[in-house]
Amino acid sequence: MNKWARSLAVAAMALLLPAYVQSADIKLGLMCPLTGKWASEGQDMKNIVELLVEKANASGGINGNKIELVVEDDAGDPRTAALAAQKLASAEVVAVIGTYGSAVTEASQNILDESGIVQIGTGSTSVRLTEKGLPLFFRTCPRDDAQGKAAADVIRKGGFKRVALLHDNSSYSKGLAEESRELLEKAGVQIVYYDALTPGEQDYTAILTKLKSASPDLLFFTGYYPETGMLLRQKKEMGWNVPMMGGDAANHQDLVKIAGKDAAAGYFFISPPLPQDIDTPEAQQFLKDFKAKFQALPVSVWAVVAGDACKALEAAFAAGKVESEDIAEWLKQQKNLPGLTGSLGFDAKGDRVGEFYRTYKVDGNGTFVLQPR
Amino acid sequence: MEQFFQQLLNGLAVGGIYALVALGYTMVYGVLKLINFAHGDLFTIGAYLGLTLLVSGGLAGSLPPVLAVLLVFFMVGLLVALIGCALERVAYRPLRKAGRLSAVVSALGASIFFQNAVMLVYGARPYVYPNSLRPDFTIELFGYALPGMRVMVIAATVALMLALWAFIQKTRMGAAVRAVAIDQGAARLMGINVNRIISLVFLIGPGLGGMAGLLVGMYYGKIDFTMGWTYGLKAFTAAILGGIGNIPGAMLGGLLLGVVEALAASYVAFAWKDAVAFCVLILILIIRPTGILGERTADKL
Repeated sequence: MNKWARSLAVAAMALLLPAYVQSADIKLGLMCPLTGKWASEGQDMKNIVELLVEKANASGGINGNKIELVVEDDAGDPRTAALAAQKLASAEVVAVIGTYGSAVTEASQNILDESGIVQIGTGSTSVRLTEKGLPLFFRTCPRDDAQGKAAADVIRKGGFKRVALLHDNSSYSKGLAEESRELLEKAGVQIVYYDALTPGEQDYTAILTKLKSASPDLLFFTGYYPETGMLLRQKKEMGWNVPMMGGDAANHQDLVKIAGKDAAAGYFFISPPLPQDIDTPEAQQFLKDFKAKFQALPVSVWAVVAGDACKALEAAFAAGKVESEDIAEWLKQQKNLPGLTGSLGFDAKGDRVGEFYRTYKVDGNGTFVLQPR
Repeated sequence: MEQFFQQLLNGLAVGGIYALVALGYTMVYGVLKLINFAHGDLFTIGAYLGLTLLVSGGLAGSLPPVLAVLLVFFMVGLLVALIGCALERVAYRPLRKAGRLSAVVSALGASIFFQNAVMLVYGARPYVYPNSLRPDFTIELFGYALPGMRVMVIAATVALMLALWAFIQKTRMGAAVRAVAIDQGAARLMGINVNRIISLVFLIGPGLGGMAGLLVGMYYGKIDFTMGWTYGLKAFTAAILGGIGNIPGAMLGGLLLGVVEALAASYVAFAWKDAVAFCVLILILIIRPTGILGERTADKL
């Protein structure tokens, strides 16, 4: 259908259904878990995207076009997600934002792709989602392997030469440790120790004594915050002050409580940043609006990346791209769009580009402080 | 060599706790032929009660720390002993005539009950003992600097075990406990009040378990409502290793298990320490099916 024919068709429809066309020029879908175990994330996703859409419409829409948001609940469940995707496809949205959970997103991928709808996944970090070669799929969260890369970069830039790696045998923690080991060895960093501990135990002095004899200059534990806290505490009691780092599973305030402020001071971990830690005007403005409307901060970074997806689509609409192929093609060329979690860009696979992970360091008061790049 | 001694000490401290908890398993088994699966959760309750008494009870502020800790130590022992005694009355005594399987199921139920009760009362997030209550000093021994708290844990464990051993071997009451363990019917004929002895056993075992919980809380700081499971499992293993029903066996088994774990972590791999510890258990049970010090043939569990 060429442009003239489409304009004619639109004009014809405008005559038949004038009210419909005037009220909504661009239809945007949002799929998120409004019920089920991830309901708090899903409700935040809805709040954030609705806030951004309201704001865009209040300022006269994008190029004069208003955005109509269609929200479907996927309940954090793959089967419900497939139904939600079909409903959104019948509602003839041009793009879908969502959803949370890789398995849930995966259930909707093919349905949306076959219907010719752009999809921007949010909390869906599984590597394989963008390895299928679906041309209309994007995501605003990092991939699971991006964290390994970010960790390896931090270690390399920190000038550490002898690293001891420790994981807890969970698939997330082990994957991160293996990914980091491979990258660090390539970069010429020596892995002086590599082992797993049993999570849920109280006494890690045996492994710390062993680690100490390997004399690393950095201890990297890729597990969760309770074990991290115990390791920090017992390391301090041994009088061993080697620096220690962790991944985003350590990002929990109970970490400091368990380790104690003295033992936690100096510990650092990598994690996606929250808007309150980013000083870009977009992040600050968003935070102001969000607080004004909901009297709270967003609960999780995985909800904020849904706002990033909305921002990216708005930018595409503003550039005059309103057909799904055009949007996809345009997005893949963007490397520096203003997002809520820093600059936004996509590669040819639809993955988010740029260094998303940031380093947080625990200060003497037990506060997590975002480090400058 | 330094690493070897360091690991030996690490193992003895962990093993001492295993031994204290194992005593509760083995005493109950010796007298009732029952595995008290709720024992690990009594240990958890000890850790939580200790924290409550120290922090909310205001004892930490009004008394010198050493005295407060010592007082709380015995208060926790007493309180958990009473809970253990009540547990026996409610969950085990009505089933004494029933089959042993019913008692085991009742024990598992009690374990689930206690674990969830702790979660409901205190919440699911971990608690931490305040640092100010923990003695922080190091002891110089043979040229090694040893953390004072670690030495104190071992000392407290050994003192409690010796006291128990002396009670069982040297007193009339202890002789009665031994008699009930050997033959309940004959003991009753000799004029021993068997029910009272069983209640006594359920006072001593859980009391020691509760004190072990307090020691763990004081030493490691962090406590959570599932901690009893890991310690209970290890202590149960230790009791079998030493010969279940045998008190010196539980002490030996606990210390041995702790040391084997620490050395396996050091010289094999940390991820393999449990595997190595259980291989040692299997080897010992092949050579001595009743455990290291077990004399009587163990009945089927």
